[in-house]
Amino acid sequence: MEDIGVMPHWVFDCMGVHVVLNKETLIMTWIVMAMWILFALLASRNTRLLPNPFQGTAELLVGTWDQLIEDSLGEREMGRKYFSFICTIFLMFWISNMLGLIPFLSEPTKDINTTLSLGVIGFVVAHYSGIKAKGIGTYLKGYAEPIFFMAPLNIIGEFSKVISISFRLFGNIMGGSIIILVVSYLVYSLVLPPFLYAFFGIFVGTIQAFVFTMLTLVYIVVQIK
Amino acid sequence: MDVIFTVKTGQLLGAGLAMGLGAIGAALGEGMTGGYANVSISRRTEMSSPFTRNMLVAQAVAETSAIFALMVAVLLLFSDMSGRGVCAGAAAIGAGIAMGLGAFGSGIGAGYSGGEAILGVSRQPESASQMTTTMLVGQAVCQTPAIFSLVIAFMLMFKDYSGVNAWPYSGCLIGAGIAMGFGAIGSGWGGGQAGGSACRGYARQPKLRGPIVTLMLVGQAVSQTPAIFALLVSIMLMTIGPTEGNLLVTMAFLGAGCSIGLGAVGSGMGNGVTAEAACDALSKESSLSKSIMTFMLVGQAIGQTPVIFAMVVSLLLMFGNYDQAANLPYAMALVSAGLCIGLGAIGSGYGNGITSAEACDALAVRPEKSPAVMTFMLVGQAVGQTPVIFALMVSFMLMLGNYDQAATLPAAMAILAAGIAMGFGAIGPGIGNGITAGGACTAFAMHPEHSSLYMRTMLIAQAVAQSTAIYALVIAFVLMFVV
Amino acid sequence: MDIGGADLIRAASFIGAGLAMGLGAIGPGIGEGFVGGKACEAIGRNPDEAGLLTRTMLVAQAVSESTGIYALVVALLLIFVV
Repeated sequence: MEDIGVMPHWVFDCMGVHVVLNKETLIMTWIVMAMWILFALLASRNTRLLPNPFQGTAELLVGTWDQLIEDSLGEREMGRKYFSFICTIFLMFWISNMLGLIPFLSEPTKDINTTLSLGVIGFVVAHYSGIKAKGIGTYLKGYAEPIFFMAPLNIIGEFSKVISISFRLFGNIMGGSIIILVVSYLVYSLVLPPFLYAFFGIFVGTIQAFVFTMLTLVYIVVQIK
Repeated sequence: MDVIFTVKTGQLLGAGLAMGLGAIGAALGEGMTGGYANVSISRRTEMSSPFTRNMLVAQAVAETSAIFALMVAVLLLFSDMSGRGVCAGAAAIGAGIAMGLGAFGSGIGAGYSGGEAILGVSRQPESASQMTTTMLVGQAVCQTPAIFSLVIAFMLMFKDYSGVNAWPYSGCLIGAGIAMGFGAIGSGWGGGQAGGSACRGYARQPKLRGPIVTLMLVGQAVSQTPAIFALLVSIMLMTIGPTEGNLLVTMAFLGAGCSIGLGAVGSGMGNGVTAEAACDALSKESSLSKSIMTFMLVGQAIGQTPVIFAMVVSLLLMFGNYDQAANLPYAMALVSAGLCIGLGAIGSGYGNGITSAEACDALAVRPEKSPAVMTFMLVGQAVGQTPVIFALMVSFMLMLGNYDQAATLPAAMAILAAGIAMGFGAIGPGIGNGITAGGACTAFAMHPEHSSLYMRTMLIAQAVAQSTAIYALVIAFVLMFVV
Repeated sequence: MDIGGADLIRAASFIGAGLAMGLGAIGPGIGEGFVGGKACEAIGRNPDEAGLLTRTMLVAQAVSESTGIYALVVALLLIFVV
């Protein structure tokens, strides 16, 4: 159990830069991507009015998220603009969080780098949309609320959103996998682990993917409005 | 140091702790009873003498736990324990903590039950004698945790420790006291909440006395599980606690006591709140006794997840392997792991209780939608457990970490601070998440047709309320890995 | 183990950081949860205004979170600056 939190690395020098890559995270992310590409191919191949199971699932997912995004942003046109970004985050994290259910695979979201990078992307998108929607002057004025000298704390508050959104997902998935590991060790992998996998993988994984996506959306909405 | 001097110091400290802490709960509870008695008298002036009589009976029962504490304090003051070995000093402190803190919850709980009973009599004067019986049953059950504490205090005081080294066994004895003392708070308080609401329900629906009392007793019995866990660990600490070992063993057993003791507080209180709401719901909607019982039991079972986490950490700490040489950071990590999960379990335990309480209310309003209410409750509770899962993760990392290098004081204190930060940091978000999920259940009861909207709002609100727990997690990580 | 004055200061600042963040997280956690609960109830009363209520909820939570952020800042200062 000593290897908790240890990541297998690829280390190499590229043009004088020392590069460290988290091997497991990378491979697992590729697997998730491959799964979705395969799914998309199966779902979009000869689409018809009476859909095959893949097409049906895809329509359900897309329809649900289209509605959710429209509800949050208030208008359909606006919603469509952010749809692909928001929906991709959800699909990616949803399968990532459940990947640990499959033997020999592990969740890429167990690595803080995965969640942090998506969190930073969401942050950049939200603030870029804010500047575009409100103009740079109004955007900057937002930091001087309620008084101008609160600006440093407002800025820290914005950055702490990135920390909280990415550590929430990371903490839940990492916590789940550590708990499963320790409990499996304690009960000699009898009886309990499948239920824990079901709880942390399917239930917590789905909810946390949803929460991450909704919060990214909410941060965008708060910046725009 | 002289053995007689050490033991006497321990006895005096223990006596002070027992009586000082032990007086808080009973005094608060009796004040509550007295206050409610005054409210009742102002409502029905002509009945002032039966109210006063009832008040005195209720206060006398609520005082029991303080009398236990007084007994322990007097025994500690005047008995001579110095012939029982050097560990008797630590045992005296442990006994003081166990009885002092253990009297807290039962005192408040019994006082609350008594107050509600008097209010009930003012509403249904003809049921006065039955009401007193109901009150006494409820109060008697919520005194059980205080009795557990008394048992542990006596076991600690009257055991013979001659020939045992001061350390590490003293750590086990103080740990046993902490485990039982804190462990009794939540269950005693929660049992009182259930007892009070049973009196309230009986006053509302005198015909339903039987089912309400049954529900109350079941609810109280389940609420006592955390105190029973604490009793178990406390006895284990005394019986299997090693008499040989270094600082690591001392801190591990102290940590085990802190873990289960603190961890039992929130779940005990939460389970009590759930039982209270269940009794209220039954008195509003008498036809639902079966589904209310199911809701209560499911809600209480989930509300016990945090204390079960604390129990697991407690057992891991007790049965760990501490053969290596003592090292200050590792010793601090063991006690810190116990504190982290113990404190971290308080919030989620209580918060889950609030959620299932509101779910019971919602069930009484919309009995036809019970599966949907159950879904709300379960999702809300599961998400509300994120803070305690963070605490459990930090706790495991602290226990299993590698502390070979850098045995300096700052490193050790950073490790201790990591557990404290995560433990305290999980309390607020755990309670807050419970309140949010409770609000979602209430909203669902008002307009069930918008359930997906409430679910979405609830998840977002819970996620935002968790961010302070996440800051605590970040600080804990920084303290563990960066410093 | 040698314990110098500088060590004591470092140790105390770490404990201080842990306490600051831990205790500082209690209030905002409960407060934000309370806001969320009331927002759910308000949406239950008036579902048509869900968007407005959600935005108000988020603003209120952000404000009540600011004390948590102060605790975070103080804890980081204690760890890295002192």
